[in-house]
Amino acid sequence: MERFHPLHRALIDQRGFTVSLRRDDWEPVIRSLAGHGLEVKRRKWAPPPRTATVLVPLVRVLTADMRPEGVLSVAADLRGPTAPGKATPEQQLPVRHPVKSLKQWFVIDPWLRMRAELRDGSVLEFQVTDRIRHRKLRKTNPRGKIKFKRKSKTVQLVRVIRHLPKGAAHRRPDTPPPAWFSVRVKTGSRMVIRATGKFQGPVADPELTKAILQMTTEPFRWTPPGTITPRRKP
Amino acid sequence: MTPCTVTTGFFVLGRCGRPSVADCPRCRRRVCAEHADPQSGTCPECAAAQGYGSDDPHDPTWIVRYRRRHYEQAHASYQGGWTTYDDYDRGAFNPGDDWSYGSGDFGAGDDGGFVDS
Ligand SMILES: [Zn+2]
Ligand SMILES: [Zn+2]
Repeated sequence: MERFHPLHRALIDQRGFTVSLRRDDWEPVIRSLAGHGLEVKRRKWAPPPRTATVLVPLVRVLTADMRPEGVLSVAADLRGPTAPGKATPEQQLPVRHPVKSLKQWFVIDPWLRMRAELRDGSVLEFQVTDRIRHRKLRKTNPRGKIKFKRKSKTVQLVRVIRHLPKGAAHRRPDTPPPAWFSVRVKTGSRMVIRATGKFQGPVADPELTKAILQMTTEPFRWTPPGTITPRRKP
Repeated sequence: MTPCTVTTGFFVLGRCGRPSVADCPRCRRRVCAEHADPQSGTCPECAAAQGYGSDDPHDPTWIVRYRRRHYEQAHASYQGGWTTYDDYDRGAFNPGDDWSYGSGDFGAGDDGGFVDS
């Protein structure tokens, strides 16, 4: 394990990392992770599952669109929703018979942030947050016995933001995007296109990765291939 | 020099642009040493079409197949409001050499070798 890349080790020990690296410095991280199964069999020491299903694929996609000097920043917190500090305080909600008490709290888990400087001069950001609503309920059943019930509901929020280079030409796509996410744009000298999706989840990780990338298509429809001239280095 | 015409990138599509060394035996496009399959000499697209390449994202060849599937899906879900990958790959969308980049793996100073991997 000493031979693992430091970020690979951080995924095992801290279940995440926050780092900014140039494009080509990501390949050694992925290569180290790829060799994990050959070196270590114990599940306890495996990187979090979302490393292989979400993080690595998204790093591969983003670095494919970057120049060597482009920077990809990643803040991954893959400790999961039970990690300390992610729960909001409990609230007592009003109740009606036969419910005696109803407590509610949320877990807000912003587990992935990525920001990449792409080779066309635009900047692409991904933000993924799991929001879990917990309810704990106490009620009497028809025979007068006290019963406890717990319910939780997960919503996954995905945001994809593309900042165009200053003064870049763009045009509204001819057809609307799919209805399962929403799009907002901010015009100005630097246009920003933002796609927001909300999924009743948790969605299986590979499906989530797919959804993030399908949403990412939208901001690129505003600048079809060949319509932005890439910045050249002075 | 004839540049390699293999498609690079995922959303920001471009052409490889490195000096080519051979023709792909299947589709005849020019390929550079890095993009030619070491055994068959085919380009990455043809290799993927023949079922080669990996479904493991840790593998560098993963992206070619994943990108193809992504564009198929996007074309369907955007109801024709988005280019198919093939439109681009076969050159209908070819924006020309502007879209290949001046820096890349040959170093920032070499503008002639417009490259990215
Ligand atoms: Zn070919
Ligand atoms: Zn090439």
